[in-house]
Amino acid sequence: MSLLVDKLRPRSLEALTYHAELSERLASLVGWFYHQYGCALTQSQAASADFPHMLFYGPSGAGKKTRILATLRALYGPGVEKIKIDARVFQTSSNRKLEFNIVSSVYHLEITPSDVGTYDRVVIQELLKEIAQTQQVDLNAKQRFKVVVINEADGLSRDAQAALRRTMEKYSNNVRLILLANSTAGIIAPIRSRTLLVRVAAPTHAEICEVLESAGKKESWKTVPALNQKIAKESGRNLRRALLMFEAVYAQNPTVSEKTPIPPPDWEVLIAQIADDCVRERSPQMILQVRAKLYDLLTHCIPATTVIKVLALELVKRVEPELKADVVKWAAFYEHRIKQGSKVIFHLEAFVAKFMRIYEMFFAGMM
Amino acid sequence: MPDIRNFFGGGGAGESAAPPKAQSLAAKKPTGRGRPRKIVSDDEDDVEVTKPKKNTPVKPKKAVEEPKEEETSSSAYFASNKSKNRKAATNGSVQTPKKTAQTNGGTPGSARRSARKTSKANYAEETDDDTAVKLDDNKDGGDDDIHADNHKVGRNADDYEEDSEEDDLPVKPTKRTSRKKAAKDEADSDLEMAEVTTFDGAADSKRTKGTPKTSSKKRKAEEDEDDDEEDPTPKKKRKSTSTATRKPRAKKEEPENSEVAQLLASIKTVRAPTPPPRDENRKFQFGGGNAAVAPANAGAKEIPVGAENCLAAMTFVFTGVLDTLGREEGQNLVKRYGGKVTTAPSSKTNFVVLGAEAGPKKLETIKKLNLKTIDEDGLFQLIRTMPANGGDSKAAAQHAEKKAKAEDAMKKEAAEMEKKEKERQRQVEREAKASAAARGMVVPEKPKGPKVDDRLWVDKYAPDTMTAVCGNKSLVEKLQNWLRNWPKRQKHGFKQAGPDGNGIFRAAMLHGPPGIGKTTAAHLVAKLEGYDVVENNASDTRSKKLVESGLKGVLDTTSLLGYFAGDGKKVDESKRKLLLIMDEVDGMSAGDRGGVGAMAAVAKKTNIPMILICNDRKLPKMKPFDFVCADFPFRRPTTDMIRSRIMTICYREGLKLPPPVIDAIIEGSHADIRQIINMISTIKLDNKQMDHGEGKAMSKAWEKHIILKPWDIVSKILRAEMFTNASTATLNDKIELYFNDHEFSYLMLQENYLKTKMARVSGYNGKEHALKLLEMADGAASSISDGDLVDRMIHGSQQQWSLMPTHAVFSFVRPASYVYGNLGGQVGFTSWLGNNSKQGKLSRYVKDIQGHMRLRASGDRHEIRQQYLPAVWNKTVKVLQDKGKDVAQDVIDFLDSYYLTKDDYDAVIELGLGPMDQENVKIETATKSQFTRLYNAKDHPIAFLKASTIGNATAKMGSGKREKPDLEEAVDDSEDEIVEVADEGLEGDDDEELDLKKDKYIKAPKKRPAAKTKADGGAKGKGKGKAKKVKDEGDSEGEEDEEPGPKKRGPAGATRGRGRGRGKG
Repeated sequence: MSLLVDKLRPRSLEALTYHAELSERLASLVGWFYHQYGCALTQSQAASADFPHMLFYGPSGAGKKTRILATLRALYGPGVEKIKIDARVFQTSSNRKLEFNIVSSVYHLEITPSDVGTYDRVVIQELLKEIAQTQQVDLNAKQRFKVVVINEADGLSRDAQAALRRTMEKYSNNVRLILLANSTAGIIAPIRSRTLLVRVAAPTHAEICEVLESAGKKESWKTVPALNQKIAKESGRNLRRALLMFEAVYAQNPTVSEKTPIPPPDWEVLIAQIADDCVRERSPQMILQVRAKLYDLLTHCIPATTVIKVLALELVKRVEPELKADVVKWAAFYEHRIKQGSKVIFHLEAFVAKFMRIYEMFFAGMM
Repeated sequence: MPDIRNFFGGGGAGESAAPPKAQSLAAKKPTGRGRPRKIVSDDEDDVEVTKPKKNTPVKPKKAVEEPKEEETSSSAYFASNKSKNRKAATNGSVQTPKKTAQTNGGTPGSARRSARKTSKANYAEETDDDTAVKLDDNKDGGDDDIHADNHKVGRNADDYEEDSEEDDLPVKPTKRTSRKKAAKDEADSDLEMAEVTTFDGAADSKRTKGTPKTSSKKRKAEEDEDDDEEDPTPKKKRKSTSTATRKPRAKKEEPENSEVAQLLASIKTVRAPTPPPRDENRKFQFGGGNAAVAPANAGAKEIPVGAENCLAAMTFVFTGVLDTLGREEGQNLVKRYGGKVTTAPSSKTNFVVLGAEAGPKKLETIKKLNLKTIDEDGLFQLIRTMPANGGDSKAAAQHAEKKAKAEDAMKKEAAEMEKKEKERQRQVEREAKASAAARGMVVPEKPKGPKVDDRLWVDKYAPDTMTAVCGNKSLVEKLQNWLRNWPKRQKHGFKQAGPDGNGIFRAAMLHGPPGIGKTTAAHLVAKLEGYDVVENNASDTRSKKLVESGLKGVLDTTSLLGYFAGDGKKVDESKRKLLLIMDEVDGMSAGDRGGVGAMAAVAKKTNIPMILICNDRKLPKMKPFDFVCADFPFRRPTTDMIRSRIMTICYREGLKLPPPVIDAIIEGSHADIRQIINMISTIKLDNKQMDHGEGKAMSKAWEKHIILKPWDIVSKILRAEMFTNASTATLNDKIELYFNDHEFSYLMLQENYLKTKMARVSGYNGKEHALKLLEMADGAASSISDGDLVDRMIHGSQQQWSLMPTHAVFSFVRPASYVYGNLGGQVGFTSWLGNNSKQGKLSRYVKDIQGHMRLRASGDRHEIRQQYLPAVWNKTVKVLQDKGKDVAQDVIDFLDSYYLTKDDYDAVIELGLGPMDQENVKIETATKSQFTRLYNAKDHPIAFLKASTIGNATAKMGSGKREKPDLEEAVDDSEDEIVEVADEGLEGDDDEELDLKKDKYIKAPKKRPAAKTKADGGAKGKGKGKAKKVKDEGDSEGEEDEEPGPKKRGPAGATRGRGRGRGKG
């Protein structure tokens, strides 16, 4: 009953369908030898002690997490898949209690420090130290170290990253870190230099199509290659998204064809509406209406940067070629401000106002 | 006698015999008026002008008396001429006499007078026959006095007194005559001189109108008569005065039409383009086609400077949006020149200042009453052209008369006060003497000169009689009644309500804003009713204990004053009664715990009367006093009520404040009498003159800082007056607005800035207009965006609080400077707060969902929200909506497969947007109930339990349990693998079963050995037991599908596994 995207998730390195080279490198890090021609992997015990700290980066939907899990499985065996969630409570210096979820197996644990916002440093310091200071007790374990996977590492605050860098060196006997990030931009250089950077590129359209094809086969759905192409394109090379779309299309239409519409996610529909509004009528009253919709998006947990990006792209589709550059320029300008400021709606609204103004000026100039 | 009284009238009649002549005269006069003013001095002009005007109305009646009047008027003329001549003669030395005046002392009176003006001490000596002395002063002036008079010319402030002295005369004729002995020998010429001086004064003061002068002159004339005849009876005089006062009224009624016409005419002729007709047309335009007129134009016109008090006695109504003037500005302008501003037009309105979008109701009234309407330019013209003191118009005359009357009253009051003061001083002296004598000591040397009363003015001028109370009189009387009847009521056990219903209360509660005399009233009433006062205020701690124990000593006792008295004082039996005044009851704060309740309890059973005083009766903490106290809500007195009192005080203190200034101060302080008195006391210290503007400025400076509500802040900053060129609001003023509530002001502005009718774009049309609108909106929006960056610097890690003013400018003032204009509709409350907290709530949902799905799905929160949620929605909500109840089980299975709970399902619905919006979800009721029923019928797998949910349960556990190891899992035994993993720590723990009840995820009936929890021994109160679900990834799909089944029993059938956290494995 799960969604395809989870049901069909590859669990081992050899099951991964693309970036074969990357998979091979990961396997060799772990000490497995990947035989291009055979499907079996053979392990050499020696190499695994050299398993480094790693930083996986790449766009979402590229398969970073999947690769990490597969790597861990290769490291520890299937036990790593028996995971559970703990909630732990940390106390900040100001006596505030933070509840923090930890996903763990006996061999590894996964944390998302950005869950606790600005207190991520507390979590990093307390939790990592605690784990790092404890040696692996299970003599049967395949590795002497445990692995800590840190999600959204680019969202870590400076303080937290600084706390991390010392830990990485000091406790490397007992713990290995795997950081996950969308880009290395948010990661301080000392950390980058201490980790093995692993770039997981987004799959190409062809690769996505291939995945969709095989997924269709497994589900015994009749696939339409042209539609797969369309989905691949529509997904923006995000495999997760492509699979979810794929499933949605098939769930909603008994028979599919090349023409079958791909339902976009709810929030994208709303952003498209906003773009329509902005282009249709340019007035302070419309800004007010748009503000209400923007608030809707924000309250429903769509990040402001996503909103402004998608909105700008939607607007670019709708305006005259002469204006496209300007729209993008201002979108970038206000996106930067969103990052700098605190009340994002102000900047979104300013972008909308700016767009309406330049659009109106464009028309006034034409007249 | 009567003839003489009206001698001016006759003279005027002669002059204005023929209306056209009068017209021409009037026309001519101004020119004549203007010239001499420059050359010599104003006095003659005023004399000339006032005379004819006054006379016109009387003419028909008193035709017979004309000849006589002619005579006297000629003498008056002579007098004025004389004065003129003298003026001319002394003119060159006008400045020098100033010095001589002090030393002059030709007659005792003059010396006295000048002395009085300069030094208070001398004044005090004279207090006994104050009015008479003053009168005498005038008479005594004589030839010698002329220097003093001229000297007065130099000192405007003195003139005020002069006039009022004159006015006093008719009121106390007897006194005057009896005390006139000193002045017995004055000559007529002296009188004339006196007249002259008054005119000088009036003209120079520019405050008093022509009429008071004439009337005073009239009275002067009477005096002449009196003096001449040597022994005029008081009766006679009274009669004459009464007729004198009646006269003007008669005048008013009769020639109304001609008067008004004349007034109109004079204004018309004065103004080059006559606004009234033009405005009349306009008015009809407005009334008819009420199309939206472009709002206020920002173009600034120069605001003219007019003669002092030139709008006196005129009543203005402002309506609509003026071109350049703000409503308030305009009103202030009128007030500055002595005019009166009312809000609704009535028959008494002289002018309606009409702007765009005038209120239709007002227009109607205007039309009905045929009022004169002018526009802004008309008003300016009026100010520019009207003569000082409202000229000679009839209205001005009335006004002046009214004023004179008020001054009369004030004088009288002042005299009374003075008398009392004297009395008191004497009393003190006597007592001192008596006590000294009693002790056999030498009477101390009486201090030379009068004793200076060094009490605060507020105490000095506190009312000591019922009549002296300013405002709330009836209330104070009611309070007095209550207190008077208190013993009587006590005898009846407070069962009789009495006519005002206050009889059943043992305590009274006075409440109202500060400075309006609550405490004073309480003390006054106590004094009048002969109570000894025990006062208790915020300076005493009044906790429950102290109230109970401290008051015990008071409640059933009597005052010692009833039995003993100080040196030489008589024992006053009545003083035996005690009155407890609890001041500032609402000031009971945290330190006075339980004080209010205890106080209320005391008030219920007290055996002495209690008066409680507070500012805000409505505070929740004042609730205990409901139905316990008689309520006396004090209100702010009106300006009129206070004005005379303040004028009296000013007069007593020898301070010259023109009424408009006093009005400005009163209004500025919101009728806080205490503050007003403090203010004039300060003014006295500076000993300086004040004009309207300064008065306003001062009261503004003294203004109690009232914190504006966010709504008011926004409507104020967005008002066009704030930013037009004519605006006097400085950048600092605007920033100050922001600081009224720095947390809300900018949010409120952001909410509302697009709702204005932007004044800056009013000049454009069509496309250009639309573009300009967006330009302004964009400017404002970018500025708000800038402001947010500053905000981040303030509230972010940098904590640069010194940037607050910068933030004020960027996020508040500057945006408003783009979009200011009329705010159509209501000011909305900021939606940011609501949206922010909603965002917080929904993101918590997303976090929960992500936490639950975590075992199945990768991806962070954003991925979950943006990619998974639409898919989940399609799989659940949409399916239920489309296919009805048959698929309910499938949906439940799907949720279970992702460890989503029903709460999560609801959250998914709530998180929908656009096409998936919650509003658009229409699931049939049958489907819903089927879904709920099925869902509740079974247990569902749970990914984990939140520490917070469990925390409550564990908190109840014995402390011994806390030492238990770290981690614990409830493992489903049906899953072999899990057992494997967890078996190290398997352990049953039956005695903790109870705790499960607090666990919302675990259903009690299915309980076996329950999953339980442990507490972390470490410092962190860590999440205890979690019903853990293990994901068995390695298995095939088929197995996965089965999973929900066995897991359903999960929590219930879980055995408690206790493992050692990190060490495990």
